Amino acid sequence: MSDLTLGELDRDGAIREAVEQVSGETRTAFLGRAAVGGAALLGALAAPGRSEATAASDVAILNYALTLEYLQAAFYTETERFGAVGGELKRVPPQLGAVERAHVEAIKAALGRAAVKRPAFDFQGVTEDQSKFLRTAVAFEDLGAAAYKAQAPRIKSSALLAAAVSIHSVEARHAAWMRYLAGATPAANAFDQGKPESEVRAIVASTHFIVRHPKSTASKRPKYTG
Amino acid sequence: MAKGVAGQRAIIRALAVGAAAIAAAVIAVLVWSRPSSPSPVVEEAQALPASPRPALSVPRPVRLRESPGAAYWASVRRDVSARELASLRAPTVTRLVRTTPEETANIVLVLGRARDESGRLWVHVRLPVLPNGRTGWVPRSALGGYGLVHTHLVIDLERLTATLLRDERPILRAPIGVGKPAWPTPEGEFYIRNRLSRYSSPFYGPLAFGTSARSSVLTDWPGGGFVGIHGTNAPELLPGRVSHGCVRLRNEDILELGRLMPVGTPVTIR
Repeated sequence: MSDLTLGELDRDGAIREAVEQVSGETRTAFLGRAAVGGAALLGALAAPGRSEATAASDVAILNYALTLEYLQAAFYTETERFGAVGGELKRVPPQLGAVERAHVEAIKAALGRAAVKRPAFDFQGVTEDQSKFLRTAVAFEDLGAAAYKAQAPRIKSSALLAAAVSIHSVEARHAAWMRYLAGATPAANAFDQGKPESEVRAIVASTHFIVRHPKSTASKRPKYTG
Repeated sequence: MAKGVAGQRAIIRALAVGAAAIAAAVIAVLVWSRPSSPSPVVEEAQALPASPRPALSVPRPVRLRESPGAAYWASVRRDVSARELASLRAPTVTRLVRTTPEETANIVLVLGRARDESGRLWVHVRLPVLPNGRTGWVPRSALGGYGLVHTHLVIDLERLTATLLRDERPILRAPIGVGKPAWPTPEGEFYIRNRLSRYSSPFYGPLAFGTSARSSVLTDWPGGGFVGIHGTNAPELLPGRVSHGCVRLRNEDILELGRLMPVGTPVTIR
C-alpha cells in the first residue's frame, strides 16, 4: 500500500458496499458519478466571501481545508462516541479527533464570518465497524496530507503558509500512524505527491460521506391533535 | 644484575613513549577544540531571515466534552420494515417510510446497534407508531447520517410544565396545556420529529413541533393523530387540561423553545 486513497479503498469494498446497499447502483456508475458529482456535492468547498485581510485565493484555500477538517473531525468524533473500535485502535478516535477538532476551531477562528458552515455527514456505518474505520482513517489522513501539500505553493500569505505547514506535518504523522496500524508502509516514497483540489473533491464525493441536511422543517399547517 | 639494569631501562623507555603519546593526544584535543572559521553553508544559514509567525494559532487538542444527555437520531433513507429483532427473519413491527405527513424527512431516535449472524449492522430505534413506546430494528443501510442532540424535553402532566434540559440541566421551564381527560396526552418516551412554522393558523400559534407520540383515542385524526407541541391563541387557558392531546405553550414560550430545541430531541411525557 504505497498511496492509499478512498478510491482505492473501494476495491476492498469498504465504501462501495455501503454505497451499493444504499443506492443499489453498480460499481461503474458509482465510480463514474464520483468524478462527475464531485463539484456538485462539495459545493461547501467554495469560498463564500472574502476577508479584508486575506487574499481571496487564501480564503478559498482555508475554506477548502476547513471542509476537510470538518470531515475528519466528524469521522473521529462519531467513532469515539459510538465506542465501536477497540484494542490498539481504541485510542485513535479520541486522540485524532481532538487534534482535528482543534484544526477546525483554529481555521474557523481565522476565517471568521467567511468560514463555510459545517456540512452534514453520513458515514454509512464506517464509524461503527473496526476494519472499515481503520482503512478509512488511513485514506483520510493520506488525503489530508496530500491536500495540504498541493495547496501550500498556492498560499500567498507566508504567515498562512507557516500555519498550513504546521497542520500538514501533523496530518502526515497521523497518516504514518494509521498506516502502521493497518500494516502498511508508513512512508513508502522518498517524495510525496500532493493531490489537486479537483482530485480531492472527487475522492471525497465518491464516498458520499458529505450529504445534505435532512429536511426537518416545513411551512405546512399542522395536523396535530391540537 | 646486568639483566636487572636492562629491565629498568625498558620500563623507563615504555614510560617515556606513553608520556609522549599522552602529550600528543592533549595537544591534538586542544587544537581540534579551538573555534574554527564557519563553513560557507553555516554562514548562509545564519543569514536566513526568521520564519514568519503562523497566521493562525493551532490550539491544544480539543477533547470530546462529556455529554451525559446526548442522543442520536437518523433519517429514514429508504422505505424499510422495522423488525422486532436484528434479523431479516424477525417479524415486522411496522413499515417506515421516508417522509412524514408534513413532508419532512422521517426520523427515528437511535437506541442502540447490533450485528446479525451475517455481520449486517442493525440499528435499534424508537418508532412513531401505536401503541406508543414501540421500538424496532432497521438495517443501518436504510438510515441516513446520524444527528446528535444534547437536549431533552420533559412534559410533566401533573405539574403542567414543560422543562427543556441541555446536558441534563434545565434551561427553560414553561407552563403548558395538556389533553382533557377524554383525550389524554399519552405518557412515555418519544422524540421531536419535525418543526413547522410560517403557516397561517392562530390556533397553533407561530411554531409547532411534531412528536412521535400519537393519541390512542383520536386515531382517525387527519395525519394519524400525532401529538404536537405548539403555541396557542388562548394563553389564558394555560396551565390547564384543555387540549385534544397536544401540548400547548404560550407563544413567547414556544418561540423560545424553538430557539433552544433541535429536531431529534428526546421527549419524556410523565
